[in-house]
Amino acid sequence: MKLTIASAHRYPDLARLWYRTVARDVAPAFRRAGADVSVVLFRDADPQSFPRAWFEGALLEAPSRACRDFIEFYDAVLPAGGDFVLFVDADVFLFDGAWAASHLALFADPALAAVSLLSRTDQPGVFALLARAAAYRTLPAPVLAPCYEGLADWPNAVNRQPGDRAAIALRAAGWRIAETSARDATPHVADFHATTAIRATKERLGPLLGGRFDALVAEKLYLSMGAYDNLLLGCLYRAVFGEPFAAGPDGVPLSGSATAAALRSAFAGIPSGEALSRLVGVLRRSRRALGRLAAHEGVRVDVPRVVPAGRAAAVRLEDAARRLLHRRREASGSA
Amino acid sequence: MPPRDDRPAPRVLASGEIHQKERFGADTVNRGAVLLECTWDGGTFESGMMLGGLFRSGTFVGGVFWGGVWLGGTWAGGTWEHGFGPDGRYRPRTAHP
Repeated sequence: MKLTIASAHRYPDLARLWYRTVARDVAPAFRRAGADVSVVLFRDADPQSFPRAWFEGALLEAPSRACRDFIEFYDAVLPAGGDFVLFVDADVFLFDGAWAASHLALFADPALAAVSLLSRTDQPGVFALLARAAAYRTLPAPVLAPCYEGLADWPNAVNRQPGDRAAIALRAAGWRIAETSARDATPHVADFHATTAIRATKERLGPLLGGRFDALVAEKLYLSMGAYDNLLLGCLYRAVFGEPFAAGPDGVPLSGSATAAALRSAFAGIPSGEALSRLVGVLRRSRRALGRLAAHEGVRVDVPRVVPAGRAAAVRLEDAARRLLHRRREASGSA
Repeated sequence: MPPRDDRPAPRVLASGEIHQKERFGADTVNRGAVLLECTWDGGTFESGMMLGGLFRSGTFVGGVFWGGVWLGGTWAGGTWEHGFGPDGRYRPRTAHP
């Protein structure tokens, strides 16, 4: 049984952290489960910046005429990937390899096309997808590409994310896709969000916007999440490798994303209320993810505060009051 | 006497500007602004970035097109990071219209 672990990376430092878990925890666990495992890493930009020594044992791919970006890479892996492909996002850490590999047994069901080890939306996506390659190969190319449906109805068109269209088509054809609930996955996975997106956005927008970029980070939740998650991963990276993470062209750690000082200043401008409450909740979730990963690495990580303790406490209090009010309204409505 | 041009001067979007969810018509030229989830309908995109959004018509001469939908218009140059065609299909890096 051949299995390929496939992932696309734009930044070598994140890839280094990701590969550490894969090489140490994930690939050996699948080998113990009987798979002949290979790891393929697609270097989506600046392939020369990925030191080979960091990725011993992995096959390093780069953009080519046949495989122009990471989306095309996903499809390129399917014909060559053997019996199974485990797609894993650049900022998803399956640190409990035995748990991940235990899902192979589910494929005794011949109708099972895939198991999603991490679901974020109503579709399984490709964040951490263990796929039966033969099932996905029955679909017309491009298999895993995103798309828009109903463009005539803009702005209400539907944007299907990578893997969504394939999942819908496979289920319509009678295949089954199993999805692990967040509750079941959480103890075994540390997942971070938009960490590559914010760095790529900063690369492009930073020179055009200058200091205004940080204000945009505070305004857009997905950029806030990405920036904060990079801050967390940067702390872990320093604890594990003793080196800076996500440095920009100026060489300052995290300036390729957002430094702790920039985040503090940007978040200070968010007025109290729902936006801040949502942000604080997201940051808490990310800190817990980092806690699990750091515990697995056996390192202690100190994370700088980016929302003042008083404001975070006020948000928790407001949330509690809102929930209480909501419960009282529900109770009086049903009385 | 040369004939007088009564056409209004084009609206120029400049570097350092950021626009979100706005619509720009044929009287607009982009020279360095960042457009987030905007609709471009008829003007000339000389430089800057179109991040998400909809390119309905006009000419893309330079700048970066990233993650938006290309419904129509003329591609004369620039960087196609990735996006979607009028049929909704994904068009990867460099696969500009």
